[in-house]
Amino acid sequence: MSTIGTGYDLSASQFSPDGRVFQIDYASKAVEKSGTVIGLRGKDCVILAVEKIISSKLHEEDAAGRIFTIEKNIGMAIAGLVADGNYVADIARQEAANFRQQFEHAIPLKHLCERVAGYIHAYTLYSAVRPFGLSVIFASWDEVEGPQLYKIEPSGSSFGYYACASGKAKQQAKTEMEKLKPNMETEELVKSAGEIIYKVHDDLKDKDFRFEMGLVGRDTNGLHRINPAEYTEIARNAGDAARKDDDSDNETH
Amino acid sequence: MLNNYNGLAQPFWQNGPAPGQFYHFTGGQQQIQNLPRELTTAGPYGTQRNTARITTGSSVLGIRFDGGVMIAADTMVSYGSLSRYQSIDRVFKINEKILLGGGDDFADIQSIKRTIDQKMIADQCRADEIEMKPTELAMWLTRVLYNRRTRMNPLFIDVVVGGVNAEGKPFLGNVDLRGRFYEDFVVATGFARHLAIPLVRESKPAGREFTAEEASNLIRKCMEVLYYRDTRNTSKYTVGVCTPSGSVVEGPYKVDENWSFASTIKGY
Amino acid sequence: MFRNQYDSDVTVWSPQGRLHQVEYAMEAVKLGTTTVGLKNRSIAVLVALSKPTSEVSVSQRKVIPIDDHLGISIAGITADARVLSRYLRSECLNYKHTYESTYPVSRLITNLGNKMQTTTQRYDRRPYGVGLLVAGYDEKGPHIYQVMPSANFYDCKAYSIGSRSQSARTYLESNLASFADSSNDEIIAHGIVAIKRSLPTDENQGKENAAQYDITVAIVGKGQPFKILSKEEMKKYEELASKKILPAPSPADDDDQPRPSGSGEQPDEGPRDPQVAVATEERR
Repeated sequence: MSTIGTGYDLSASQFSPDGRVFQIDYASKAVEKSGTVIGLRGKDCVILAVEKIISSKLHEEDAAGRIFTIEKNIGMAIAGLVADGNYVADIARQEAANFRQQFEHAIPLKHLCERVAGYIHAYTLYSAVRPFGLSVIFASWDEVEGPQLYKIEPSGSSFGYYACASGKAKQQAKTEMEKLKPNMETEELVKSAGEIIYKVHDDLKDKDFRFEMGLVGRDTNGLHRINPAEYTEIARNAGDAARKDDDSDNETH
Repeated sequence: MLNNYNGLAQPFWQNGPAPGQFYHFTGGQQQIQNLPRELTTAGPYGTQRNTARITTGSSVLGIRFDGGVMIAADTMVSYGSLSRYQSIDRVFKINEKILLGGGDDFADIQSIKRTIDQKMIADQCRADEIEMKPTELAMWLTRVLYNRRTRMNPLFIDVVVGGVNAEGKPFLGNVDLRGRFYEDFVVATGFARHLAIPLVRESKPAGREFTAEEASNLIRKCMEVLYYRDTRNTSKYTVGVCTPSGSVVEGPYKVDENWSFASTIKGY
Repeated sequence: MFRNQYDSDVTVWSPQGRLHQVEYAMEAVKLGTTTVGLKNRSIAVLVALSKPTSEVSVSQRKVIPIDDHLGISIAGITADARVLSRYLRSECLNYKHTYESTYPVSRLITNLGNKMQTTTQRYDRRPYGVGLLVAGYDEKGPHIYQVMPSANFYDCKAYSIGSRSQSARTYLESNLASFADSSNDEIIAHGIVAIKRSLPTDENQGKENAAQYDITVAIVGKGQPFKILSKEEMKKYEELASKKILPAPSPADDDDQPRPSGSGEQPDEGPRDPQVAVATEERR
């Protein structure tokens, strides 16, 4: 997306002569500047993991989290503007609540994703608003549908995934993910998530980061949990080990 | 309703489309999604409404003891005087700190319970380990119920709210369809208000709370009396117990019935 | 007329994925006088610096009480802060009326953040040009929150915003480890020392003309409703603080001077934004 549509790039309600809506491309740039976020689908669980870049030592460790709980069994992680993320999390919760009010059942992730994607898409249609600078990943698990993982882009388009990534090191994370085997057990999956986030973190560009995760699956009794102590520990240890491995590899080459 | 939730999803511009109105947002037609007028305001003078309950639960009994509260209710939901539904739990666990026992119109109980459950999910979503306390729920209920009654459209419910507050302090209170609220070591709805409360009061030891065992014995005794005396009662009942370590609903238990005395009763 | 063609509205993304209007609003915070927030295990403290705009006026109020368990101090456009404080007050009051208990601080601030977010996305609005430090106390203990025009908010151990606040932040960072176990008196004194670090060097550290600055201190905590300390109460802490004062920091500490942005993050191809002399939390 290195093209620029001089004169045709100032409004979300305007196409450029070659058929682009540049404001959406530009919003995606905000996502590309954000710390990496990944989602992985395992056998009976889904994990969300983020590289939360720490901007000040004065903040509490859990300040400005980028993982949210939307429903009992639905988690959401974002890459992009955190303020936009908080807002969309609230919208998603309202959608989930609305569905539950009507059907007395947790909203199927497919439907939630459709509704939130519709919402995000609406912001790409008018010059009076700007598109969200946001890539949203949803994860859920339930007995009937099993593990599910969806991602929505700033354009409002959404897809289901086995594994997906957004943010700074999206490409690198994708390369790592392609090496993973399918249908992993929870602990293995958690380790992989830790390894990927720690590996793709660039020490030179951002010194400090915090690994944060959301987990939902059979092992969490179908509840989405943010930074569950026992699993976060496993992930961080695995990540640390992977990074040391990486460093020693580099030295030998 | 959805978009009035917290006023965030305003229309993009005056009378413009609002995001979140997913199926119509390009048309620009403004739908004011308020509750129907007849649900929120009193009708013009002379308008009458059906003010009867339909399917009802009878007694709920709550007793506070030194380490928490116990709430019991039988499992009968009647349709008029018909014993329509005979095994329905009327004591609910709301969260680890709150129990709710529901009496009077059961549809209204189910409705308010749905709303409360959604609030609990909202609590969980915040993931900040802050849970609603029983006093907060009781206060919220009084506001809702009083508001409904001033609109001449009350929810026909009579509920017992119990649990433990922040410092592990037991709380037990009653909220009714008018939005009345009171707190005591024993509260009840339905016939238990007449039959059980005096029984519990007269066994209250001076200067101290009940123990858990005393409370449990009193519940067993009261549920038995209620079964014998209240024709809208059944012999099965559930008991909710809430202590600082959490809340749980147990049962159903069965009243130890004995009708051998029946033949001695004459004159009917 | 504009610094570049992408900075006229909040609804326009720049080709680099930045929102210049939001970044400019962040600058407004740096025009305000400094304020510091910090906490120990039982209380949260706000310290604010104010200066009368002329000899015949008193200084603007920097600290605004919201509820018994919560108050804010501000840096930036005062009028915007009043809009936000009115919102916070009515939210707290509604919550108190509905539940007869106090609004959990984290949830209040999340809702405030979402309210502020809408102004960063709509053509007919502008971001609030004010930064807040929120001090509150709830069942989870004392809290300091930093809320910015970008609608980002952060749960903080301690923080400082406003002009030359970097010097105060440097002080806070180097003493951070001792805050949690400090006594209430000590933590207030730390706050006063931190804010004095942000005074212009010639007026630094309690010299004669520092008197024209007013320091306001407010506290809230366990069994302590939000309270702005009186002049008499302040004396004790001023004395404590003066004992703590260390040599003035070097001017190099001061990074609030405008500086060319984007120096480290130029894309390798395509056009780029004109150089804009602003900085935000997000950019790195």
